[in-house]
Amino acid sequence: MIRIEGLKKTYPNVTPLRDVNVTINDGDVVSVIGPSGTGKSTLLRCINLLEKPTQGHIWIGEDEITSPGTDLNMVRRKVGMVFQSFNLFNHLSVIENVMLSPVKLLKMNKQEAYDNAYRLLKEVGLSEKADSYPDELSGGQKQRIAIVRTLAMNPDVILMDEPTSALDPTMVGDVQSVIRRLSKTGKTLMIVTHEMDFAKSVCNRVFYMDEGVIYEEGTPDEIFNNPKKEKTRQFIKRIKVLTFDIDKYSQFNDVFSRLMMYCSDNAIDKSTYLHIRLALEEAVFHNILETRYEYKIHAQVEYSSENDKVLLMLDYSGDKHNVLEEGNELSVKCMSFAISDTEYCYDDNGNHLKLYIK
Amino acid sequence: MVSSKRIYRRIIVCVIITLILAFAVGIYSYAEQGEEITSRQQLNNPDITIGTGDGSAAVNVIKRELPNANIAYFEAVQGYQTVAQGKIDAYIFERLPMEKAMDHGLEGVKLLDENMEEQLKIAVGISPNCKIPDFENELNSFIKSIKEDGTLDDMYNRWVNEENEDMPFIESPSNPKYHLVIGTTGLVQPYSYYKGNELCGLDIELGYRFAKYLDADVTFKVYDYSGIIPACATGNIDCIMANLNITPERAQSIPFSDVLFTQPIAIMVKDTTSVKTGITDYIADGFYKTFIKESRWKLIVQGLLTTVLITLFSVIFGTLLGFVTYLLCKDGNKVANSIYKVFSTLIQGMPVVVLLMILYYVVFGSSSLSATIVSIVGFTLVFSIGVHGLLVTGSKSIDIGQYEAAYALGHSRLSTFFTIILPQIIPLMIESYMGEIIALIKATAVVGYIAVIDLTKVGDIIRNRTYEAFFPLIAAAVLYFVLEGIVILIIRRVKIRVTPKLRKKRHLLEGVNLHD
Repeated sequence: MIRIEGLKKTYPNVTPLRDVNVTINDGDVVSVIGPSGTGKSTLLRCINLLEKPTQGHIWIGEDEITSPGTDLNMVRRKVGMVFQSFNLFNHLSVIENVMLSPVKLLKMNKQEAYDNAYRLLKEVGLSEKADSYPDELSGGQKQRIAIVRTLAMNPDVILMDEPTSALDPTMVGDVQSVIRRLSKTGKTLMIVTHEMDFAKSVCNRVFYMDEGVIYEEGTPDEIFNNPKKEKTRQFIKRIKVLTFDIDKYSQFNDVFSRLMMYCSDNAIDKSTYLHIRLALEEAVFHNILETRYEYKIHAQVEYSSENDKVLLMLDYSGDKHNVLEEGNELSVKCMSFAISDTEYCYDDNGNHLKLYIK
Repeated sequence: MVSSKRIYRRIIVCVIITLILAFAVGIYSYAEQGEEITSRQQLNNPDITIGTGDGSAAVNVIKRELPNANIAYFEAVQGYQTVAQGKIDAYIFERLPMEKAMDHGLEGVKLLDENMEEQLKIAVGISPNCKIPDFENELNSFIKSIKEDGTLDDMYNRWVNEENEDMPFIESPSNPKYHLVIGTTGLVQPYSYYKGNELCGLDIELGYRFAKYLDADVTFKVYDYSGIIPACATGNIDCIMANLNITPERAQSIPFSDVLFTQPIAIMVKDTTSVKTGITDYIADGFYKTFIKESRWKLIVQGLLTTVLITLFSVIFGTLLGFVTYLLCKDGNKVANSIYKVFSTLIQGMPVVVLLMILYYVVFGSSSLSATIVSIVGFTLVFSIGVHGLLVTGSKSIDIGQYEAAYALGHSRLSTFFTIILPQIIPLMIESYMGEIIALIKATAVVGYIAVIDLTKVGDIIRNRTYEAFFPLIAAAVLYFVLEGIVILIIRRVKIRVTPKLRKKRHLLEGVNLHD
């Protein structure tokens, strides 16, 4: 259905898409997830050529839409798009918004267009609003009408760019149920979304985008329950990471001021902050650094907003040395107030200590 | 429902018109008592201001004979009225038209018995670019022949002494060899003036006779004195017959024929003894002279139609041109944008009068386009820039999402503009568009400079016949108000049709069975 090869998009200062290669089959319902600024929207906008790709090729069915002689407007008739900000035509009533393009572009008979529009509006429960104007509607109603407007052109594929992001939380459900119903009709859909649960329940494929590529791809089960790559896992578990490389005692102030910033940025509560600080101070500054001056320490703090847990990981080189067993007694005692569980192992890369913060 | 707003508006308009009338009458009855001037020598004084026509031979005569006086420039009839109001001390000009003005209703002034020492020489101005072969010699031998056979004396006798205002029948040639274009002013009795809406006078008769002599058909074009010399120099007209004085300055731009007559230069001063007529008589008389006498309303209607014609076509073509330039420039085409920038800077950077004169004398100088069409071209250019600007500001106020949604549905750029963007711009911009039209109506008042007889020019012509400033001016003002009122009414109607929530008719739903 849609085949993308070597797609690249550069702007003067940023490169949102480096190299995207993917095939989307007929009837696929794809959700595209990933941190902001990783090119999810740009990818969608390249598929209907609202953005002109810098490099690469895109085929829709048999036709390469990136070849020079392509009739843009014919491509776009087959590729519907639903925007975050709805973009209903403000000067037209609801029914006219839906009828306009079939009448003007597909040369559909007005009566037929009207009947079709009315039927579609009925399906989304908005036939009563047919004569209203966009500024008289709520966000949820506008977005459902925007979806109907796209459907009225009967496109082969529908691209949805964060369709519920601009909505009041109470209205998200209405729009999602319309999309859910649409996903069961066999229409090819591609949805950029931040609603993980929704993506999980609606899609058959998930693209995780990062670093300008489709970083990991799979079924919802693969991506949401068993992500293979570290960044995917961090994103799915909504993990925020802070790392330090420590080799000198003098880094003390720097480390703790960064930790404090990180905790306040992620709204980590005060007692958890003190626990992280205590564990880090005792383990790193009062043990590892004091006893083994030559060690390089890599410390990583991970906060998962999903379950509100913090994990402190310490990787350090040198001989086997488990702080909790070999460290000074006072420190170990102090740390026991701050941590709930630990894991330790030693391999060719050195010591690996995981401290689960209370 | 008549809204209270509309009633207020009517009241305000009535008050304004009443104020104008009161002001006019007030000025008329205003008189300043000054020292009475009885002799020419009294004028040779630095406290004295003397009016005369700009560029006339009288200017040089005054400078030579009354070197101490100040000179102010007024066209004849304005000058007479300024003397009557006491704003200048004297007006010095050819004696004959001043006598005629006083015979035909000019009040509050008198002529000194004593003339200036020098006299005026009146001749025909000749275009150096005239296309008729051997024109100057033909003209001079014509003048010689009418002097010799007494025709000129007869003409002078009829127009000046007998005041017989009927044009004699002069047969026009059935198969003319040439086409003769004569410039005249239509402002000075008995030489060239309007009787009703027909040009007549001694110069006009002279023109017809000369055309017959040449075996040519003839057209008269009407200019102010300030515009007539350049029109002749560039060849827009073949010659000037408008009691034109020979001056050294004028002779540098155009050659003159042999002298037709020599005329004394008289001095007009304020008549402190004259008695004012009552205000009601004054109004009744003014109304009669301005509108009824010689069916002058026909001339007013003619001027009104010309103003309407120029405005209407300029609005239509200007709107179209504005759209075309906007569509060419809107997608950021660099060539189109830089050309447009130069074009708009040029047009906007100069007064409309200057633009019109450049178009008329330079750009279309050698073509035979009528001045009305040149005016339409000029105002079309001016108006198109306004429309272009409205479209630019209007489209900036439309959210980019509207464009994207339209493109995403498969609308072309043009279809997006006309079906999605424009209908949203129009309700925003229609009031400003109306403002542009009203500004245009007022701006058309300058077309008199290039020989178009519009409403303002008609006001001038009538003033020069009635020696009466206020009625023609007020008539013109009221007619401009009416035109603007009509534009406002039309635009209000249009606004209802183009505002989404006010409109009743939706063409997309037209003819659709709504099943309800």
